[in-house]
Amino acid sequence: MASKNCTRVLFITVSLLLILVFSVSAQSQQKVIKIGAVYPLTGNIASTGLDCKRGVDLAVDIINGKYDLDLPLAKSAGLPNLGGAKIEIVYADTKGDAKNGMSEAERLITSEKVVAMIGAYQSAVTKTASQMTERLKIPYVCSDSSSPTLTERGFRYFFRVSPHDDIFARDQFQFLKDLEKKTGQAVHNVAVLYENTEFGSNAGKAYRKYAAEFGYKVVADITYPASATDVTSEVGKLIVSKPDVLMHASYITDAILFTRTFKEMGFQPKGIMTMAGYIEPGYLAAVKADGNYIIVRSTFALDLAKKKPLVAKVNELFRKKYGIDMSENAARSFMAPFVLAEAINRAKSTAPEAIVKALQDTNIPGNQTIYPWEGIKFDPQSHQNIYARGTLVQILNQEYVTIWPFDSASKQVVWPFPAWEGRK
Amino acid sequence: MPDQLLQQLADGLLIGLMYSLIAIGLTLIWGVMNIVNFAHGEFLMLGMFTSFWLFTLYGIDPIFSIPICFVSMFIMGMLIYRFIVSKVMKGPILAQLVVTFGVSIFISNLAVYFWTPDFRLLPSTILHGTWQIGGIALSIPKVAASVGSVIASGCMFFFLQRTRTGKAILATEMDREAALLMGINTERINSLSFGIGTALVGVAGAFLSTYYYVYPQVGGLFGTIAFCVVALGGFGSIEGAFIAGILVGLAQTLGGFFFDPSYKYAIVFMIYLITIWIKPQGLMGW
Amino acid sequence: MVTHINFTIRRIIAGIAILLLFIVFPLVVRQPFHVHVMILVFMFGMLGVAWNIMGGYAGMFSFGQAAFFGIGAYTSSYLSIAYGVNPWIGLVAGGCAASLVAAAIGYPCSNLRGHYFAIASIAFAEIVRIVFNNWQMVGAAEGLSLPMQNESFANFLFNSSKLPYYYIMLALLLVSLAVCYFIATSKMGYYFRAIKESHKIAEVLGVNVVLYRLMAIMISAFLSAMAGTFYAQYILYIDPGSVMLLATSIQIVLIAMLGGAGSIMGPVIGAAILIPASEYTRVALGYKGTGVDMLIYGLLITLISMYYPEGVWKLFSRIGRKLT
Repeated sequence: MASKNCTRVLFITVSLLLILVFSVSAQSQQKVIKIGAVYPLTGNIASTGLDCKRGVDLAVDIINGKYDLDLPLAKSAGLPNLGGAKIEIVYADTKGDAKNGMSEAERLITSEKVVAMIGAYQSAVTKTASQMTERLKIPYVCSDSSSPTLTERGFRYFFRVSPHDDIFARDQFQFLKDLEKKTGQAVHNVAVLYENTEFGSNAGKAYRKYAAEFGYKVVADITYPASATDVTSEVGKLIVSKPDVLMHASYITDAILFTRTFKEMGFQPKGIMTMAGYIEPGYLAAVKADGNYIIVRSTFALDLAKKKPLVAKVNELFRKKYGIDMSENAARSFMAPFVLAEAINRAKSTAPEAIVKALQDTNIPGNQTIYPWEGIKFDPQSHQNIYARGTLVQILNQEYVTIWPFDSASKQVVWPFPAWEGRK
Repeated sequence: MPDQLLQQLADGLLIGLMYSLIAIGLTLIWGVMNIVNFAHGEFLMLGMFTSFWLFTLYGIDPIFSIPICFVSMFIMGMLIYRFIVSKVMKGPILAQLVVTFGVSIFISNLAVYFWTPDFRLLPSTILHGTWQIGGIALSIPKVAASVGSVIASGCMFFFLQRTRTGKAILATEMDREAALLMGINTERINSLSFGIGTALVGVAGAFLSTYYYVYPQVGGLFGTIAFCVVALGGFGSIEGAFIAGILVGLAQTLGGFFFDPSYKYAIVFMIYLITIWIKPQGLMGW
Repeated sequence: MVTHINFTIRRIIAGIAILLLFIVFPLVVRQPFHVHVMILVFMFGMLGVAWNIMGGYAGMFSFGQAAFFGIGAYTSSYLSIAYGVNPWIGLVAGGCAASLVAAAIGYPCSNLRGHYFAIASIAFAEIVRIVFNNWQMVGAAEGLSLPMQNESFANFLFNSSKLPYYYIMLALLLVSLAVCYFIATSKMGYYFRAIKESHKIAEVLGVNVVLYRLMAIMISAFLSAMAGTFYAQYILYIDPGSVMLLATSIQIVLIAMLGGAGSIMGPVIGAAILIPASEYTRVALGYKGTGVDMLIYGLLITLISMYYPEGVWKLFSRIGRKLT
């Protein structure tokens, strides 16, 4: 008797699955311009993926609607050269798995008939997804993956808007040199700390390269697993190496753990300079005042609004839609739909080849972006945005404040890193 | 350098005692029912979230929410045993392994559904800050967790050795058939052990939430390490799990410090393999 | 006697019919995603069969198969990139490398039972993953990217269509099933089952327990490694995070167990149920980020193991018997 019930349950489940299969196979018939987006929407890195999605969704709202903003296509509803056609983003969840990046990109192109691709935050997934788009000759505009290798493959269909980790690493060392020139405070040795997936190890490589170039001694070179249960050994090694400056490439989980452990063990360098994890919205929410005085690389900071009112207006829209301030991830992902829509509009066509040609000629001026760049223009060989660069922000009073380049800083950097004890 | 060595030893001990606390619940379930509870890491996560929500919504400090965690996780453990695990007890071992695995996927994604995948950290609780003793820094929440671990292990040990129910559990662990013949209701023992095991790891979660970040997948690495600890100590042995936990914590910290942090877990697993080759039943198993 | 022969012939005909169905499938269903799902079903089916040889038949429950899968992928990829070795040779080389590693780890573990062996397999697989993650020669965390060369059968690379990959994987699956069938019906299979029942009894019967355990592990590793090489040639990018994950090892066990460990076709059925379940729920529900797709997956696994602990294969063979 029980087994009859079970058979029924199994039967129902199988039927449900078949229904799902057919719903996946069905193709939509609307007249919109479909762009595929692959992101880790579930799994370990889901909070970041969902953050990126927020940026993309807001961008699509602005493109499709009429907004008085100095962003490409904001002032008109949809794409004017294509009769006001609207952009529709078709999302696919990669779960952070590289093979899903490939299969989802393929599915979006062949089943959903998307004309272009954006995503995927994790460089390993972007690698496989863009391999597929290159195979299928579909343009891919990436604005949130930072591995330098992505634009070193000689791909024709892959374009990157945002800076990569090599640029970020070089920035951090340039800052040290600028700081010395400006305040006379010299730094001699650095410790390099990075998590051990593709992102971290590439960052580590870049750190070592520029340390040598700029003439700094690397006194500790430590790598660790990002979701470690405990990091006392790593911090212990840092303490005994006595660095002037720590350079740390991490995700949010290790950023939180390390901050706590730095404080616990009293790690006291002259400066802590970091990438990625420390600028995720969840970081400050978790560590609160303990994050103060840490410097992070960034492509976006809210205080840019002082020099660029556009940033304040966009953030206001973001707040209205989501109830929180725009984060760096959301800001990075925000730009890709604009670049694509602008190119498609200029090309007056959704044919992939036409879009690619248009992208090669893309020349968006800096004041039509929310970043401190001169603009968006792709290098003819690597398709990396030649104007992409980062800034450095410092966490002051639990806010991200631009402190470098010095001529676009809103406040002066607090250096050296104040002692842990005696802080409020 | 000697300063740092002491620091690393102390920290290894502290993280090790946390591993012990997580492991004693697992070893009890394993020993009594011969089930590897793959959902153990997820129960840890639930304990962490219970403590987090009690603090965030009702302002109850984790120290006081420990009894609540214990009771609620105990009930949940017994229910899961009664309605899910007991059905597969008579079947092949694989089915038992897999059912707890299915439960673990279900629970962690239920957490994602209700609480989103975001990372949360408890702000300053009653026990916070660091003690500076003799040149080393001891994190107070970790010390509290370690004290909790010692107390919990001690209580379990006492409970198993001295009380009637405890001895019944030990008897079931040693020889199920003989226990049945002696009139012990092994079904009730199973249910009780699953409940206690889950309650213990829930308490571990409450302690862990005072210094580690809380999110739905947090059970992953802690769970894997807990399996190693239990097997290293010998399944079913509370003393074994306690000692093995400390050993693993020390191995991880000292190995990471003197050798290379990127290999620290490999060192832990290597120590497990070497120990098990020499003594296949674990350090204190029978 | 006559009915018995009839029964066997009917089973063979049914088997051939199903095989023909698989062969025709990608020619009829043109959307690449569904073909991709079937390729994954075959690949995980093969991994499940490989596991089964070790676990279902010889009683060694391994939760570390991903290590052999990864070693296979890395061996053939590294040889191809660094020395230009043809991937088909790499396929065999990967298998050999994995078998050697399997022997090296299997020997000291040869007296471990049940849960201890399982945990040891997890420990071993994690050590392998961590080592590869830090080993500069094979790309460490960045992994290896296989160059996009001209497509050809000789190069084991196809750009324009999935079909060759589909048929190659199907062929590999059939090879592994043949190996499993051969083992199951031979003396080796008999010895494996004896070892699974009880080491002591097997020894009393004169079986060299250590030798046969090693053989089971080595064969299992060889087949898993071949699947790894296929994966590398299919995805063209491997890193420890994608080919050596504990989650993959666990998925393999789930597939073999839910399908029916100890039966030849069990793992294939298991793959045919679980892989589409996870792929289609992710596509249909995953993009919202709520985790509902995995909820369904977890529920499915829990229910199947509660009500079909012997594996779904039993259900199918019962239905099959009623139909024929």
